[in-house]
Amino acid sequence: MLKPCGNVEERRFSAASSVIDDAGFSPGGRILRHAFIALLALALASPFLTQAQKPAAATADLPAGPMQAKATTACLECHEARIILQQRLTKPAWTKEVDKMTKWGAVVDPADRDALIDYLSANFSPEKPAYDPPRTSDKAGSRKSSK
Amino acid sequence: MNSRRNFLKQLSGAALAAGTAPSILTWALPQGESVEFPGEDGMILRSFRFVDLETPVEYFSTWLTPVPHFFVRNHMHEPAQLDAPDWRLSIGGEVEKPFTLSLAELSKLETHSVVNTLECAGNGRSLHRPQVPGVQWGKGAVSTARFSGPSLRDVLQRAGVKPTGKHVMFRGLDEVPGKVPPFIRSIPIEKALDTDTLIATHMNGSPLTKHHGFPARALAPGWIGAASCKWLTEIKVLDAEFVGNFMSPAYRWPNQPVKPGDAVKPEDTHALTALSVKSVISGPSDGASVNSGKVIVHGTAWAGEADITKVEISTDSGATWNPAKLGHDQAHYAWRLWSYDWKAHKPGDYTILSRATDSQGRTQPSTPAWNPSGYLYNAVDQVKIHVS
Repeated sequence: MLKPCGNVEERRFSAASSVIDDAGFSPGGRILRHAFIALLALALASPFLTQAQKPAAATADLPAGPMQAKATTACLECHEARIILQQRLTKPAWTKEVDKMTKWGAVVDPADRDALIDYLSANFSPEKPAYDPPRTSDKAGSRKSSK
Repeated sequence: MNSRRNFLKQLSGAALAAGTAPSILTWALPQGESVEFPGEDGMILRSFRFVDLETPVEYFSTWLTPVPHFFVRNHMHEPAQLDAPDWRLSIGGEVEKPFTLSLAELSKLETHSVVNTLECAGNGRSLHRPQVPGVQWGKGAVSTARFSGPSLRDVLQRAGVKPTGKHVMFRGLDEVPGKVPPFIRSIPIEKALDTDTLIATHMNGSPLTKHHGFPARALAPGWIGAASCKWLTEIKVLDAEFVGNFMSPAYRWPNQPVKPGDAVKPEDTHALTALSVKSVISGPSDGASVNSGKVIVHGTAWAGEADITKVEISTDSGATWNPAKLGHDQAHYAWRLWSYDWKAHKPGDYTILSRATDSQGRTQPSTPAWNPSGYLYNAVDQVKIHVS
């Protein structure tokens, strides 16, 4: 169970490489890089460390902006923010979604409709990078036992 | 990547003290954030409320998916209160003798088992271009389990379906927020009377968990997951397809091929039923770096009501194809695991493809059939890897 599978090793290695690159650009990069490489070596040598994961909030928040509060009230009454955070839609598609959800009970003041559509279109357009979802915690260590 | 930004933030603070090193290290590792979710291990969290959990493809290494790894798709809130002694299932509509069953009565009926690959119709939605609204599933809104319970046919025959009975409607106990239409759908009477269509109470030998529809769910094997209503409480025989949002406009397929991005009128569509032919590569992972020599490419393939007849692998971006070895475990509605021993002699970057063919002669297309809701994505699968 403690032996990491190939996939985990592979992914760990590639992500670690990119983090080192980033650290090199940060202030005081050289010292941090050395400290980091040492810690990384420790991590790679200690499979148990990878079982710990940063705990995240069960539900996410909508991004800051003039409509954040109103969007939170209108949308998150029924579902959590991740349903929105993962969408990548054009303005016409967001318009259809907002009107559908309003019909389904989302409380949107008609005076706020356009601003809400703008807020969603600006933050969650097809040009934005894909949303990176969290994982549920892995108490059984399944990611290590999968082959 | 979020976790990387968080990591840099941490580096700039005082958190580099030795005592906190392990937590910093784990932040740097690719697991990222994790959310406590009892009974659901290492799943991709598409949504916490409603619950939508995706199975990571690297888990597709066993024929039966352990329940903690079985994808979860909820349209609504799960029933807040569900006490087995109080639960009832009513059977009515176009029948001679409507009746109601308790869980104790249901459990006395003859039990049937079906190993079924259940796939959400929206599996792979995030891969369609242009992108469409909905849960942005990757490749893992699909899993396989042995479902057990009474045959729906036995229950319907006891009620006596009238000649006017053409469709069978399922209603669950999910809690509907706002003015959202309830999640009610129907299946044609022919599928409902198929001996393999179940009122499932068990999954892999254990009672259904709450996320999977305790105490009973419909199970329409080989069909889109939406046909298999969870927290089942009412079965009603209708004289026509149920009219409601989740029969139309949701879960419909264009009658004619659609140009990506085009709108489709509801009258030019039909209800989705059986799944398409499809394969997924579960290893090596996309972006992996492997040593030259023998590389085992492996994955799974399924075809709804049809059987997988072959899976082919290409290691040269589709120029040539070789047959994969199909796994021993098989059942009519279940996926087949497959593997292919590739001798990767030459270092370099490779695109590995998998392509399944089924007993109906269907083969995975190279480009998916786009549709406005992003259903039934089944293009040839691919991973890009580096051989060093």
